[in-house]
Amino acid sequence: MKKRLAPVIIFIALALLFVPYVGVSGYLIRLFAIIFLWIGKTGCWNLVAGYTGYIDFGAVGYYGIGSYVAALLMAKAHVPFLISILLGGIISGLVALFIGLPTLRLKGAYFGIATLAFAEAMKQIILEFDKTVGIPFFEGPHGITLPIGPGNEFFYYVGFVIMVAVIGITYRVERSKFGYALRAIREAEHAAELSGVDTLKAKTEAYMISAAFLGIIGGIEAYWLTYITPHMVFDVLITIQMVVMSLLGGIGTVLGPVVGASFLTIIYELLHRDFPYTYGIIVGFIVVAVVLLMPKGIAGTLTAKFGTKA
Amino acid sequence: MLLFLQSLLNGILLGGIYAAYSAGFSLIFGVMGVINIFHGEMVMLGAFITYWIFTLFHVDPFLTIPFSIIALFVFGYLVQRFVINRVVEAPPMISYILTFGIHLIIAYTALWVWTADFRTVTTSYSGFNANVGGIIIPYARLATFGLALVVVAGLYVLLYKSEVGRAIQATAQDKEVARLMGVNIRRIYAITFGIGAAITGIAGSLISTYFIIFPQMGLPYTIIAFCVVVLGGMGYIPGALWGGLILGVVQSLTATYLNSGISGAFTFILLFVMLIVRPSGIVGKGIVE
Repeated sequence: MKKRLAPVIIFIALALLFVPYVGVSGYLIRLFAIIFLWIGKTGCWNLVAGYTGYIDFGAVGYYGIGSYVAALLMAKAHVPFLISILLGGIISGLVALFIGLPTLRLKGAYFGIATLAFAEAMKQIILEFDKTVGIPFFEGPHGITLPIGPGNEFFYYVGFVIMVAVIGITYRVERSKFGYALRAIREAEHAAELSGVDTLKAKTEAYMISAAFLGIIGGIEAYWLTYITPHMVFDVLITIQMVVMSLLGGIGTVLGPVVGASFLTIIYELLHRDFPYTYGIIVGFIVVAVVLLMPKGIAGTLTAKFGTKA
Repeated sequence: MLLFLQSLLNGILLGGIYAAYSAGFSLIFGVMGVINIFHGEMVMLGAFITYWIFTLFHVDPFLTIPFSIIALFVFGYLVQRFVINRVVEAPPMISYILTFGIHLIIAYTALWVWTADFRTVTTSYSGFNANVGGIIIPYARLATFGLALVVVAGLYVLLYKSEVGRAIQATAQDKEVARLMGVNIRRIYAITFGIGAAITGIAGSLISTYFIIFPQMGLPYTIIAFCVVVLGGMGYIPGALWGGLILGVVQSLTATYLNSGISGAFTFILLFVMLIVRPSGIVGKGIVE
């Protein structure tokens, strides 16, 4: 980010802090909170896929694990919200270590398919665990009801914090030695290995950070929804949404997820209620058009055009 | 014992249909390196072609197969020729995302035009079974299984015995050399996609005779095709048969002896373990990047 862009972003961020106090409708507060949380999720996906080039089709697995850990802790053990979501993040991160070490050795499509298999297996296991083992724990397809949470303003600020954290981490990573290692993996993994980068360690670290934040976001959204089922929180469409948002904004850029998630969430809000089918068709055409006409995404294309490193 | 044999047979019959709709996926990946996310939509289109011809004109579902072949070949040829060919040299990620966009367009257009209703193709002979020593063999499934084998075998013959097949193989092995030998790569890509789509369309027609069909059915079929093709070896056509049979039998046995939900979990655990332990597939002839 060049100097002239930084003050603008800080100004927008500060202005956003006061939005709930200037008499904005509850609907807009909710919409903003949704956008913040999508920027967070997309940012997590972008951190792995955008910088290392490893396309994760199972990212929703970590989101779902975080949702379930937080929901179980809050509903069954009455653990406070903050501790529950942090534990959800930690457990997601640890699962990512075990899943990442074997799968991150796979290349290209194979990594994508393996991660997809992981997320789908998690969903099926949580769905069927109680029935198969005979102990009521995950409540299968009935799902878990959480304690009733606070209003939309609360989630506005929680979403804001998580969004700033994810963007901040991506910004820091991009400028660190670690970030160079990740991009070296994306461009030429073998050469990076030969130049002394511990590629498996770097990939796994990025994957764990991404999974931990996805887990935290999963916990936050579970509390907001107050009711979760495996079909909801392990929905492959959530992963797909992260992919499309990253692509639209610009994969491997700090602001890409911000642009992509805001753009697509607003399109969804405008179209989904009145034209539920056209939303899918229009998003499909947008995806095809972006791939064919501006493969670097909205933020990436603007960067290339105006020379502002964003 | 009877339960075991019945469940094994069900698995084999299911595996045949898995093989039929996964062979095209494997072909397209093997030749172009494209992971086709809208593969399941081609199954759906084949199934709906059969459904409409059957419902409107009362033509036997098995006789509608030529229409699926022609429609899907033309569809596949055009999509590859005018859309996917433009990114075929780009990193693989671009082709996933592009085919995902096409998936959205087809699935949601179908949902809009045909609504979310569940539909079935019920013929006069739909419920007929053969009973062999206590084991029940549904005729429709047996016929489907037989046709599925014919499809895979036909594809194999086409690839290894025909002029076009040799050009496709040459392109898959080394496209630069093939180009030097006078093969029109872009045309071969379009034909390959057309063939892949056509056999997937046949599978779709067959599926409509005993599974419920609806516009949003595609994605699970794409995911199963992934599993089948990885089990058998990516890009290795006879591997689709191995992968399909193994998956069908594993699912059927786990569904019988555990429960049907956990058989879904087994599918994915099997896929996950397979990718890590043996990414080249059961017979070890798949493409490994």
